[in-house]
Amino acid sequence: MSVRWGLPVVAVMGLVAQGLVAGGALASDTRVALVPGGPHPYFAAWADAAAAAAADFDIEAEYRVPSAWELSRQNEMIESLVAQGFNAMLVFPGDAVGTNSTLQELADFGVPSAALAGCTVDPSAASFCLGTDVARSAYLGTQELIEALGGSGKIAHFTGFLVDPNTQLRIEAVQRAADETGGAVEVIQVIADIDAPEPADEKINAFLAARGAEVDGIVTTAWVPAVVAATSLRNLGDQRIKMVGIDHDEVVLQAIADGFVHGTMLQNPYGQGYIGSYAMDLIRQGCAVKDDAPWLETAQTARFIDSGTAFVDAAQVADYQAAMVAVTEEIMATFKDDYLACN
Amino acid sequence: MTDRLRALALADWFGLLVVVLVAGALLAFLQPAFLSTYNIYVLLLSFSLWVLVALAQMVIIAIGQMNLSVGAIGGLVAITFAGTMEVWGLPIPLAVLLGLVLAALCGLFNGVVTHVSGISAFIITLATLSIFKGINIGITEAQPFYAIPDAVKAFGAARLGGVPYMLVVPALAIVGVWLLFNRMVLGRQILAVGANRHAAELSGIRVGRVVVIAHVLSAVLAATAGMLAVARLQLGQPTIGDDWLILSFAAPVIGGAILAGGHVSVIGTCLGVVIVTLINNALVLLGIDPFFVQLLLGALILAAVMLNRWRERRREALA
Repeated sequence: MSVRWGLPVVAVMGLVAQGLVAGGALASDTRVALVPGGPHPYFAAWADAAAAAAADFDIEAEYRVPSAWELSRQNEMIESLVAQGFNAMLVFPGDAVGTNSTLQELADFGVPSAALAGCTVDPSAASFCLGTDVARSAYLGTQELIEALGGSGKIAHFTGFLVDPNTQLRIEAVQRAADETGGAVEVIQVIADIDAPEPADEKINAFLAARGAEVDGIVTTAWVPAVVAATSLRNLGDQRIKMVGIDHDEVVLQAIADGFVHGTMLQNPYGQGYIGSYAMDLIRQGCAVKDDAPWLETAQTARFIDSGTAFVDAAQVADYQAAMVAVTEEIMATFKDDYLACN
Repeated sequence: MTDRLRALALADWFGLLVVVLVAGALLAFLQPAFLSTYNIYVLLLSFSLWVLVALAQMVIIAIGQMNLSVGAIGGLVAITFAGTMEVWGLPIPLAVLLGLVLAALCGLFNGVVTHVSGISAFIITLATLSIFKGINIGITEAQPFYAIPDAVKAFGAARLGGVPYMLVVPALAIVGVWLLFNRMVLGRQILAVGANRHAAELSGIRVGRVVVIAHVLSAVLAATAGMLAVARLQLGQPTIGDDWLILSFAAPVIGGAILAGGHVSVIGTCLGVVIVTLINNALVLLGIDPFFVQLLLGALILAAVMLNRWRERRREALA
């Protein structure tokens, strides 16, 4: 079933399903689905966020993962969820442009949506985009690394999919932070497209073999490279090279605790899921998204909300969740007033 | 002695050996770190994993088929191996055994369905790729298994100078597969089925049995690669195997395998893996702009295949 013809059919089925649910005990009839682009450990926190949001806001919130990173599979899953009566969608866009047609059709059938963790390109039916300001995260992470290096040295940058527009933003941000040192810090190599573990292991270790003695610091801006680089430094027993990773994989966190990694830039997947679910419920209840809200503007959208980022080093790693809970609470405190107009 | 050298020069993999030696010398000249102990170790580690992946595909190419599920089987066995040790506390040998049995079942399924249905293995393994990957994701929910026993981690990181301990496993596999294709009846039957299935049937070969065995062998090789990847990465990452497909075909084809079946070269495939590994290593060592890495990788692989094919045609013309 194509998305174009599939959604009208499943929307009708969904309305029926929704009617069946309406008689239930839920205080709100909001049924929000959190749909990542595909399986990835980053999104696991969305499941916890959905459960917490369901309990806190008296809604139904579920985390559903497409079986593979393919736009068509994500679209099929969204169709299926609408058919099951879900009436709000939080979506990591399978494609920044391609997802827009699906979101538009959801909007045509009164199903609000928002882009989560990654943005769609404007114009979009997504109410907003709530995610990490990846450029800012990469920039701040590089600054932390430069500080750990004492303000000078040679650094390498390991990052993810080149087809991801965020990768270019990350590369530019790392370079900008290095450039601001007036030549004291040099990015000697960027290795990209290492989101699968085997090529990441192959290329990162090849780099360490060739330039390990030369490099002083490593910044990683994607999950898999962070995990693999942390493992490699541990295997080498190298605590001279300072590394700033990204995200909260156990391997990275343990390497921070053991002194092989200087720190990591946390993103806030939990906050994204929790705040996103809250916003969808309010929109379902009649709130409208403000045009004059304090939106941030990115290359993709003019309605971006930074879900926050925080640097965690050995001093905070044991209680790393606290950093993101604080960021989430800060956003939640003013979210409704800042971004929504409710009667 | 001269005859032996002449025979060596006529071997279908000799051109690849020359490419490897020239490329190695060039890299050593351009980047002295290429010959460092640690880089040799890194190269051999990559070779250890990729050669198993390439052999897994080569066995299927030999029967004139394709196995798109090599990576999915490797990934499923990897997370099973890691998961059973973490969740059930299975001893390492039992976990290895379970992984191999699971792989054999996957291969059995691929082989039986392919043979019984008569549908192209390309289609069948495209479907089973999705099935095996789906089971993987269903079990793990995309979360890695972290609690890998120290002995497995130590094996994945251990080395003697520039030689990783892990190399023992693919070395045994290479010898085994070489013996299969060069000294055993089954190997000749596999090649016969690949060269001309109908003729093989008429000559009394039980084609179905051969096809099923080839798929089981392919799956077991892929599973071994998956378990080695767990040892190397020190975690049971659900995405293990996702990136294997291109190399699994590139190395045997560079090595002179005929995709229609009937002719493969174990040594050629090994050299094909060495060439791809060298290219990957060189692109990092020489600091190539990341936006041009894919382009160069593809161009260099194509160049290696063309060079070998040109050499074969020249040899045929001289013969």
